[in-house]
Amino acid sequence: MDMTGEYRIAATRDVVWQALNDAEVLKACIPGCEALEWTSETTLSARVVQKIGPVKVKFNGEVELVNINAPQSYTIQGEGKGGVAGFAKGGADVVLTKDGDETILSFAAKAQVGGKIAQLGSRLIDSTAKKLANKFFSNFHEYLSDDAPAGD
Amino acid sequence: MYSTTYHKPASIEDAIAALNGGEDTKILAGGQTLIATMKQHLAAPSDLVDIRAIGGMSGISAAGGALTIGAATTHAEVASSAEVKSLCSALCDLAGGIGDPAVRHQGTIGGSLANNDPAADYPAAILALGATIKTNTREIAALDFFDGLFTTALEENEIIVSISIPVPQKAAYAKFPQPASRFALVGVFVAQTDDGVRVAVTGAGEDGVYRHQGLEEALGSNWSASAAAGVPISPDGLMSDLHGTAAYRANLIGVMAKRAVAAT
Repeated sequence: MDMTGEYRIAATRDVVWQALNDAEVLKACIPGCEALEWTSETTLSARVVQKIGPVKVKFNGEVELVNINAPQSYTIQGEGKGGVAGFAKGGADVVLTKDGDETILSFAAKAQVGGKIAQLGSRLIDSTAKKLANKFFSNFHEYLSDDAPAGD
Repeated sequence: MYSTTYHKPASIEDAIAALNGGEDTKILAGGQTLIATMKQHLAAPSDLVDIRAIGGMSGISAAGGALTIGAATTHAEVASSAEVKSLCSALCDLAGGIGDPAVRHQGTIGGSLANNDPAADYPAAILALGATIKTNTREIAALDFFDGLFTTALEENEIIVSISIPVPQKAAYAKFPQPASRFALVGVFVAQTDDGVRVAVTGAGEDGVYRHQGLEEALGSNWSASAAAGVPISPDGLMSDLHGTAAYRANLIGVMAKRAVAAT
């Protein structure tokens, strides 16, 4: 699954960058995320519950920020193990471009699953992964638009 | 292994109590998807609440130009119902073509709708016929019910009680089954109703069942297989997998629409 997208966010690039590095913000935006905590400067431990129809899998895993080029771009990637259900991993290259007082966030995401969940078939996995990636970035967009952070 | 507590309540009240009483409860309405999922250890609910024994949950009746089908009515019961046959035989054809005999004797219409598998047959019929889904708390129009992949307007622990289907003037369903599962690789339900022509497509859309506007417009002005054949079908937003590309599915939508209209 590969997908790309773009959002225009009514906040300065520094504000957007800060939010992209705030575990509380990420936790609120990652669909199904129950816990997200820093384990080092660039890694976080995560617990995410995902439901696809009747399937409900709890993933325990790690999220890592790499290729950091503050405040312009990074790659956020994660890998989670869902017990007997299998595993999921994915990542997104995120680029922030200044446009006056606003910021254009563009991303290229990919996801992969293995084990039993992969047997659900790519039609479900692809559609779900796309939905989740879109949900994350639209949540993020909403968070910054609604919350209108004062740039602190 | 994990253990699951099985409940078989006789009333909606008891079912709701059981659903609220467990830590991770699921409604069991036939289990043709859920049990298979549990066997794979892809779901491990603490409690299963079997709603099939609740009074009034199954059976078929007709009154005032509408068919009412209880949520726990099996596909086999719909397929062999004389009442359904005389008022909307397309629904008998659809129910008779779901899965295999074991699935048809256990699986239920309510279970299929609540699951909203993007390749399930019933959602196409319910959407095209403009049915109303009655739950323990409210009535939901089919148009507002389906909300993307495996997602519906149902709240957590809301139970479908029955489905009310206005009798159409004409209706037919044509599907190209995935040979192993008999799920729809593409299924098209066409209906001429008092509110106009509706065409619903299952198995193809990335967000599950949807109505095809181009086909509805073409068939609304000329109900014929040739009118359906002339409609361009875009592969945008359609699924691609090892069984078929989006373009292949788009082509099948045209073919199935044509066959369905020809069958009315």
